[in-house]
Amino acid sequence: MEELIKYLPLLIPYAAIELGLLAAALIHIFTHKTYRKGNRALWVILSFVQIIGPVLYFAIGRNDE
Amino acid sequence: MSAYLAFTKKELIESVRTYKLLVLLGVFLLLGMMSPLFAKFMPEILKSVDFGGMELTAPEPTAMDSWTQFFKNVGQIGLLALVIASAGIMANELSKGTLVNILTKGMKRHTVILSKLTVAALIWAASYMLCLAAAYGYTAYFWDMGELRHRFLAFFSPWLLGLFLIQLLILGGTLFKTFIGSLMLTGGVVVAMSLLNIIPKLQRYNPISLCGDNTALMTGVKDVSDFLPAAIICALLVVMLTAASVVAFDRKQM
Repeated sequence: MEELIKYLPLLIPYAAIELGLLAAALIHIFTHKTYRKGNRALWVILSFVQIIGPVLYFAIGRNDE
Repeated sequence: MSAYLAFTKKELIESVRTYKLLVLLGVFLLLGMMSPLFAKFMPEILKSVDFGGMELTAPEPTAMDSWTQFFKNVGQIGLLALVIASAGIMANELSKGTLVNILTKGMKRHTVILSKLTVAALIWAASYMLCLAAAYGYTAYFWDMGELRHRFLAFFSPWLLGLFLIQLLILGGTLFKTFIGSLMLTGGVVVAMSLLNIIPKLQRYNPISLCGDNTALMTGVKDVSDFLPAAIICALLVVMLTAASVVAFDRKQM
């Protein structure tokens, strides 16, 4: 555990980008009403899947309008 | 040439507006940081988890463990993310019919394919380099890196494999005009190559092995001759697939 705290400054950027991707997906999901595939509930759940979740949403779920 | 530049510029703008560039850069930066962190903290994590009195100890991690993680992450989650994010590369426009206008106004069809390949290759290169830089920085901070043999070939190989997958997606999209069609063709080829990789004699010719045992190349366990044939075959396949996509697109009714 001490090791983890010692290296915290190195872990923060990782967490920040991880959360950034999640936030980007969630913001897009909640500011858009229609999706190319699926519905809001599905995408909200899926966007929590690490790394692949947001990729899937922006590739398949995101609608242009 | 000016049509090529204009269309390439349009593709770049599109990749920004569809969040593709942002997502891929983010994902690969994440993977780059994840690999050394995971290698570094694995023994700690094992120690902190209670296995019911059973003691699990892992050997002290080294820089090579970090690189093993790196190639594993890039080869699995990384390429999966790249394929999902790029699967609509042809299909999105073909199904919406947005290309009809510019093609009837005289833009050559091969320009479309070449522009799309150029931009996808550039985005993939930028994402992968960011990933590599992050992994390199963290690894150098945690460990003494030592000598990395044949590092150019070891680090270049996964990019080449990714380029091959992108070109497969372009061909799939051209042939089937759908997102799923692109994915199916690429997935099918990856499965076939993975099955072929069971045969040890074929491994050095199989593009899929370009993102696998790269650490063995850097430690000197494997030699350039174990990787170069696969890299050359992969590069040739990219050229052939590009030509096939151009021919297929030329014959396609819009």
